[in-house]
Amino acid sequence: MRYYMKKIISLIMVLFLIMLLTFIAFQVIPGDSAASRLGVDAEPEAVEALRESLGLNKSLPERFFSFLGGAVRGDFGNSYQYSRPVREMLAARLPVTVGLAVISILMIVVLSVPLGLLCSRKEGGVADRVITMVTQTLMAVPAFFLGIVITLIFGLALKWFVPGAYVAPEEDFGGFLRYMIFPAVAIAVPKIAMTVKFLKTSVLRELKLDYVRTARSKGNSERAILWKHVLKNALIPVITFMGMVIADVLAGSIVVEKVFNLPGVGRLLITAISNRDYPVVEAGVVYIASVVLIVNFIVDLLYQKVDPRVRIK
Amino acid sequence: MEKQNHLLELCNVSVGFPKKGEKSQMNVVTHGVSFYVEQGEALGIVGESGSGKSVSMLAAAGLLGGGGKVVEGSIRFRHGEDSVALNTLTKKQMEGLLGDDIAMVFQEPMTSLNPVMTIGKQVEEMLELHTDIPKEERRERVLAMLGEVGLAEPAALYGKYPHQLSGGMRQRAMIAMAMILRPRLLIADEPTTALDVTIQAKILELLKKFQTEYKTTIILISHDLGVIRSVCGRAVVMCGGEVVEQGDVKTLFEQPQMDYTKRLLAAALGKGSLLKKAEIANRNETVVRARDYSVFYEEKTAGKKIKREVVKNVSFELYAGEIVGVVGESGCGKSTLAKALAGLNPLTGGSVDISCSQPQMVFQDPYGSLNPAKTIGWLLTEPLRLHRVGTKQQQREAACEMLEKVGLERDYYGRYPSTLSGGQRQRVAIAMAIMLKRKFILLDEPVSALDVTVQEQILILLVRLQKEFGLTYLFISHDMNVIHRICDRVFVMYQGEIVERGEAEEVFQNPQHAYTKKLLAARL
Repeated sequence: MRYYMKKIISLIMVLFLIMLLTFIAFQVIPGDSAASRLGVDAEPEAVEALRESLGLNKSLPERFFSFLGGAVRGDFGNSYQYSRPVREMLAARLPVTVGLAVISILMIVVLSVPLGLLCSRKEGGVADRVITMVTQTLMAVPAFFLGIVITLIFGLALKWFVPGAYVAPEEDFGGFLRYMIFPAVAIAVPKIAMTVKFLKTSVLRELKLDYVRTARSKGNSERAILWKHVLKNALIPVITFMGMVIADVLAGSIVVEKVFNLPGVGRLLITAISNRDYPVVEAGVVYIASVVLIVNFIVDLLYQKVDPRVRIK
Repeated sequence: MEKQNHLLELCNVSVGFPKKGEKSQMNVVTHGVSFYVEQGEALGIVGESGSGKSVSMLAAAGLLGGGGKVVEGSIRFRHGEDSVALNTLTKKQMEGLLGDDIAMVFQEPMTSLNPVMTIGKQVEEMLELHTDIPKEERRERVLAMLGEVGLAEPAALYGKYPHQLSGGMRQRAMIAMAMILRPRLLIADEPTTALDVTIQAKILELLKKFQTEYKTTIILISHDLGVIRSVCGRAVVMCGGEVVEQGDVKTLFEQPQMDYTKRLLAAALGKGSLLKKAEIANRNETVVRARDYSVFYEEKTAGKKIKREVVKNVSFELYAGEIVGVVGESGCGKSTLAKALAGLNPLTGGSVDISCSQPQMVFQDPYGSLNPAKTIGWLLTEPLRLHRVGTKQQQREAACEMLEKVGLERDYYGRYPSTLSGGQRQRVAIAMAIMLKRKFILLDEPVSALDVTVQEQILILLVRLQKEFGLTYLFISHDMNVIHRICDRVFVMYQGEIVERGEAEEVFQNPQHAYTKKLLAARL
């Protein structure tokens, strides 16, 4: 229990540091956000008035703590560009990104494990060679190209979905899911390819170990050896890798969102960055950092569950 | 099957592995091996690594990895009234026999058990695979079996993982697993090699108990003739993939026919006389003086750092030109002491004066301690490079000379460790240690991973180098015979303390401390 408390406290401390860094970074960026909003021709009085209303005249610590206080409540102020609360904007985008992430993560988990085991079970066999070749190729394909190919084949040729016609979940949840499958595939496929390769290497390494021989000497079938003995051991390094993949997917894929015209976090961020919409960018950084940290935290917990050797007494 | 009472019979068995590169060609490693084991007897198979002893038994159990298979001959196993040819069974048929009729115990119980599965589950798996016993009853059976192999508190052990047990306990669990279905044949492959001598004796006793109580037939594979003698009635001696001699253990020991058997015997019994050493010890010149020397390890438990004292207040002197042995079982602190003296552990207390800076060290495992990505030449010149000794040309020359001194050809300079045998690697490790010409060398189990005949060569080399370079050795070993043969003086370590010390001859002839007596008694 004390271990978990410690973990949680350190998680909170890292989050605090990230907020501090984010805040400082945006102070260091040259250019006054009030001036940049009003343009170079603005009257100095107008800029001054805007600074006043944005709270830019207050001292640094004061501003940091008001930023921090807001961030904790999920309040990042108003977007410079749209004058809407950042929280609302993010909240509207989150279901898209998270939904996309969940679907693609499911695909990754469900498909990678059997494929990885299949490859390692018949190493050098037909299935292994085909899968290895396909995964090698898919790993090399950039996501946007995969997105275009999927749009071409499934959208334009087979007409399984209408390209660009995103369906919001609150309107038609089934339609939303049906549409999301395609961008999810674009995200999942390269990651599946990587995970399969990673898992295969891990399984093959495990298969050479002594305990596998012991399992054989007990009369286990090859299938039982893989699923009962090897898989859990082989997954230990894969969990770390999957954690990175999941954090990456949750952070939002700008390219895939663009290709499939999804109103996700990634696109919101890229627009905000080019418009110097700092409150939105700040919120985005804090969101991505939190996702990465929380996923890592869960990976740590999973580690404890899977590998008794790192378990805390 | 020729004889009714032969449980397993190998007839002209040759085992081959596919050659690297050309998969269709077989590299034959055993040549026409023939022997049998009678029902209820304990047969020993003895030989050095690479002799084909393990491979023959793995072939019988169908557990050859790496595409190996029986290319010639037959392996017959008595099954009911009939006998079956094990090498022709299908995978499915073999799976039915393994565990149930033929069970195995392997050398290294840490790596041979699944690290993420509880002990209880691993033993229980045998019942799951081969019986219909209901779940609740299975647990009872497992607990009873764990008790039977001498493990205390079976209920608590059931849920523990292999890493939470000591080596001896793990091997008992392994035996419980192998014996729970009362197999007719138990194949034990070097079951005690990784264990301390006092535990070794207990494990062997356990095997003997099963042989008499359940009439289990045992095949015991070992490189150690002592182990074979204490359990087996009959033995097969293997060398280079062939059976060179077989017969009664008593006869083999008293009247060995073949040279190879004689050599094995001589090395194993420690009768290989004391090695002739140059009398270069000079008791007036102190190389190491330790006073109340303690060594600590930092352990992290539940996030808290705890300093654990591994070596406790030892005081001693080492004199120039001496070979001093430190003997004790694993965990007694002997390796920790050596590492601290070599400056590899800064957490020490008390004082120590070493007359030469940076004493060099030779480690046990010649496979793990040489960087596989570097050539022998690179490894040998590294200490010279680090200390900027000589020019590149001179460094190269020094390395080649050193190779010759340790009995290797000069052209080993460009080779990689993976192309060398264990003995050759250990020669390289020793060469590395004396490259800098330091007078004090720490040897941590330098021959423990080697075959007995190779051990002999390395010991002779060490003695020769000692004379040539006027070296002082601190020689760490768990093997009393080796210590006896090479050392001038001995320290016996037990739980971090030196409990007995003295001239080697004296300690061995007339041990004072109870622990020393126990160690000596455990010698087989």
